Amino acid sequence: MTRHTLFAAASFLLMAGSSLAAPSTVLDLVEPIADYKIYVSEKLDKLVEDTEAFTAAVKAGDVEKAKSLFAPTRLSYEAIEPIAELFSDLDASIDSRADDYEKQEQDPAFPGFHRIEYGLWEKGSTKDLDPVADQLLADVKALRERITDLALPPEKVVGGAAVLMEEVAATKISGEEDRYSHTDLWDFKGNFDGADKIFQLVRPLVEKQDPAFVQKVAGNFATIETTLAKYKEGDGYKSYDKLTDDDRNVLSAAVNTLAEDLSTLRGKLGLD
Amino acid sequence: MTKMARNNETSLGRRRLILGLGAGLGGSVIARVSPAAEGQGPAHPPHVADAPTGHEARKDAWPFFGMVQQGVVTPRPANGMVAAFSVLAKTPEDLEAMFRLLTERILFLTQGGAVPELDPRLPPPDSGILGPLIAPDNLTITVSLGSSLFDDREWLKPHKPRRLQRMTKFRNDALSADICHGDMLLQFCANTPDTNIHALRDILKTMSAHLVLRWKQEGNVPVVPPKPNGSTESARNFLGFRDGSANPDSNDANLMAETVWVGAERDEPEWAFNGTYQAVRIIRNFVERWDRTPLREQERIIGRNKASGAPLDGGTEADVPAYEKDPDGKITPLDAHIRLANPRTAKSRKNLMLRRPFNYSNGVTKSGQLDQGLLFISFQADLEEGFIAVQRRLDGEPLEEYLKPVGGGYFYVLPGAPAPETYLGETLVRAACRTTACPT
Repeated sequence: MTRHTLFAAASFLLMAGSSLAAPSTVLDLVEPIADYKIYVSEKLDKLVEDTEAFTAAVKAGDVEKAKSLFAPTRLSYEAIEPIAELFSDLDASIDSRADDYEKQEQDPAFPGFHRIEYGLWEKGSTKDLDPVADQLLADVKALRERITDLALPPEKVVGGAAVLMEEVAATKISGEEDRYSHTDLWDFKGNFDGADKIFQLVRPLVEKQDPAFVQKVAGNFATIETTLAKYKEGDGYKSYDKLTDDDRNVLSAAVNTLAEDLSTLRGKLGLD
Repeated sequence: MTKMARNNETSLGRRRLILGLGAGLGGSVIARVSPAAEGQGPAHPPHVADAPTGHEARKDAWPFFGMVQQGVVTPRPANGMVAAFSVLAKTPEDLEAMFRLLTERILFLTQGGAVPELDPRLPPPDSGILGPLIAPDNLTITVSLGSSLFDDREWLKPHKPRRLQRMTKFRNDALSADICHGDMLLQFCANTPDTNIHALRDILKTMSAHLVLRWKQEGNVPVVPPKPNGSTESARNFLGFRDGSANPDSNDANLMAETVWVGAERDEPEWAFNGTYQAVRIIRNFVERWDRTPLREQERIIGRNKASGAPLDGGTEADVPAYEKDPDGKITPLDAHIRLANPRTAKSRKNLMLRRPFNYSNGVTKSGQLDQGLLFISFQADLEEGFIAVQRRLDGEPLEEYLKPVGGGYFYVLPGAPAPETYLGETLVRAACRTTACPT
């Protein structure tokens, strides 16, 4: 992050803060936001690197290799999804699902990761996927470029922790995100890591005023961690089909409770 | 406790509700029509998007504390909803924390009051759909437990009510797993659907750490003004027939103690006294086909006159059919719905149950037919003698051609919270703590 954007973020915060927000809290956010920007940059670099390998495998017609790279490549994207979503055109192009298109999977406009996932798992082939792969790589690179030039709005960063949980609660806990590959648990991991990162960065600012809150949130992150850990396999996670009803309930309750609690984080930090 | 004391609803309350509804309905219609007829508009003519004027009953609340829960023998308002949950509790302490919080929310929601105000930079504590002041609106929330809550927890297993079981398929059923069973069921009943929705959203928001929503079904019954003598007829279902005519009188406390409430005379665990079994069934009606069936055939299938609700041997809706004078079913066919369900014999008295149904309308099927039917709810002191026995008698009835039960489940309604320092489910938690280690 450049010195210029740092100051831009700081002055935005001061303007947004009202009488109820302690000015020190607002200034205290400058460093976490800067750290978060670094985190996002690292994730974007990794996303571009992984997408290059993934799309190369698709274009080489290597179905098995492409399948093995699909879930790990998405991890970095899922971790920074609230920031990626600031550019809705790219998010739609990279990560939309068949439901978003009138003719579902058969719709020629269906793009991105899930279009390739459909080809690899449902069709067992990379046929017709070359242009989709090219576009995905171009989109991911465009995303990195746009975010690099962006001063991250603090309320979007802090609010992003709750947004990630809303994503999981609304459409991921059911296993409909990666419906062809059933690699949903990888995506969960990315979403949780992304939310936890934001929480950890601002945690010292909230800890003083509300230690019970911090403890509760940390407890729910820990519940998710131990529940997901049961499904670890190799470098990643077992198929979503293996998730028991009981563990899905545990995850669902923790996610919804985190979404409730993290939705107060902006207000607690005096952001409007 | 006497049987009378068990019944915490009064007939006075029922009259007040009915009068409130009647005044609201009749009053608003007259107020809207007469000025226009006289050629003088009201001072503030209503706009199309103005909120419809409510009735006085919005201010009415049913008492929460009592030996039995509200929402069983409480008069049924126009709107109902059931919502089934998975319960997260792994230990008796978890279960106690869940019940205590649930009791707190139900108490607030059913008695009403002001929503707390928070710093506007925080999400508001309430959905706001009823405004800043929650009107009770005759809301009742009734808590019942499913078999799986007990079956999946070793420390609860020994305390399961003797007849509580997972609902299994009857011969005409096509049960869909997505709308069946649950660890816990909440039944919401209120004058307006918004009040039920508000209550559900409050519970989802405040209890996310304890409960996961599985399915829900809303329904309603048509509101009818009372007759000049103050009595009301049974509401009609989506087949166009009056439903509930043969219901036992919910104001007869002795009858309710016999048919609905589980008492000390029954072989049920002591914690469960003053509870009741609840059967919930989502029964789709094939209404297009029904509407194309000759009227006389409809009446023979049901066993009642469609217009009046009277039995086929005459009289009014309230009259009891004399089956003993019609042993061959020449007047009321032997397989008519009401005759099979309640043969009115001394032996069938033990099969009585208290029904509290609502009509539901969900949308359109893939075939372009209406997806609507009956949200059937019944309460009985013995699930097997009550709903299950009656439904077994109905298996194969001619009405099956027009029905398809698709969801629901069996639940046990907890005893009431008798006083302010108690909570719903307390007797169960205490019983569990007697057979398993609980920190004090």
